[in-house]
Amino acid sequence: MANFILRKAEPKDVSDILRLIKELAKFEEMEDQVILTEKDLLEDGFGDHPFYHCIVAEVPKQHQSADGHVIVGFAMYYFTYDPWIGKLLYLEDFYVMKEYRGFGIGSEILKKLSETAVRTRCSSMHFIVAEWNKPSIDFYKRRGASDLSLEEGWRLFKIDKQNLLKMTSEE
Amino acid sequence: MDFTIRAATLEDCKDISRMILELAEYEKVSDQIKITQRDLEQDGFSKNPFFHGIIAEVPEHLKSRDGHTKVGYSLYFYTYSSWKGRAVYMEDLYVMPEFRGKSIGKALMAKVSQLGLAAGCTQLNFTVLDWNKSSLDFYRKQGCWDVTSDLGYHCMRCEGDALEHLAQGDL
Repeated sequence: MANFILRKAEPKDVSDILRLIKELAKFEEMEDQVILTEKDLLEDGFGDHPFYHCIVAEVPKQHQSADGHVIVGFAMYYFTYDPWIGKLLYLEDFYVMKEYRGFGIGSEILKKLSETAVRTRCSSMHFIVAEWNKPSIDFYKRRGASDLSLEEGWRLFKIDKQNLLKMTSEE
Repeated sequence: MDFTIRAATLEDCKDISRMILELAEYEKVSDQIKITQRDLEQDGFSKNPFFHGIIAEVPEHLKSRDGHTKVGYSLYFYTYSSWKGRAVYMEDLYVMPEFRGKSIGKALMAKVSQLGLAAGCTQLNFTVLDWNKSSLDFYRKQGCWDVTSDLGYHCMRCEGDALEHLAQGDL
């Protein structure tokens, strides 16, 4: 089975996008962290100023998944900025359903993303990977990715809503 | 100390460019800067900006030794978490050394948080170099936590030749 297409996500895809987000989160053992809803995805991805862009991989009906799905992979990305080198493409999520791996879908998605990055004059594509996720790290390193946390010592920090509110209310 | 925090305008790009260079020198990587003042103007102040800026300004009588009244800045943009939705990413936060210890950094960060919350964001993300102890301490005091240490997420990058090869589908 090598029959699939990649296309830009449309509003009707939000249900499948959320399903795949949850599948990927489950793989990262973080399923309970997903609080995003279909409504959020619709508002945030398909309004006047989208917060993200999405590509989906679709198979023909005769190759639908065991659960009856034809959207079998996706990538969610957005544009960021580095004041030293300019525009960057940030890959937020990238996932292909287990039963559809090994057919080149992941590679094609990554190729499409890279084409987008080059076409929009981004100097680089950034993303994060969990250090225990060896197959993904190997997949990316094979394609020339470098680990900035290891090589340059960058650590990703986060501050959540509670502490953001605290910061804004302090004088 | 008397200072104001306000949104950056096109006219601020000269000072932002100056301070970006100062910050890069502090991080010991000033030779890596490819972005010019003109790039900042185009990328930050056109119809679809890639980033937003905040400036910390002091009155004329408190200007720096070199005669500058714009003494700190923050660059940020909106991103998207596939788990939680809208997020804000603080790309740069910098206060000139002679104006430190007067809560200007805290005020800049509070402004980014305020704007992020107003835009519906539930988290603020940023990266810090592992040797930058004074910054690490400052951020931890604001309630931030280290995602790289605690969850093992590494920041990855794919750029230059590697990005081009990926776009062409080479392995």
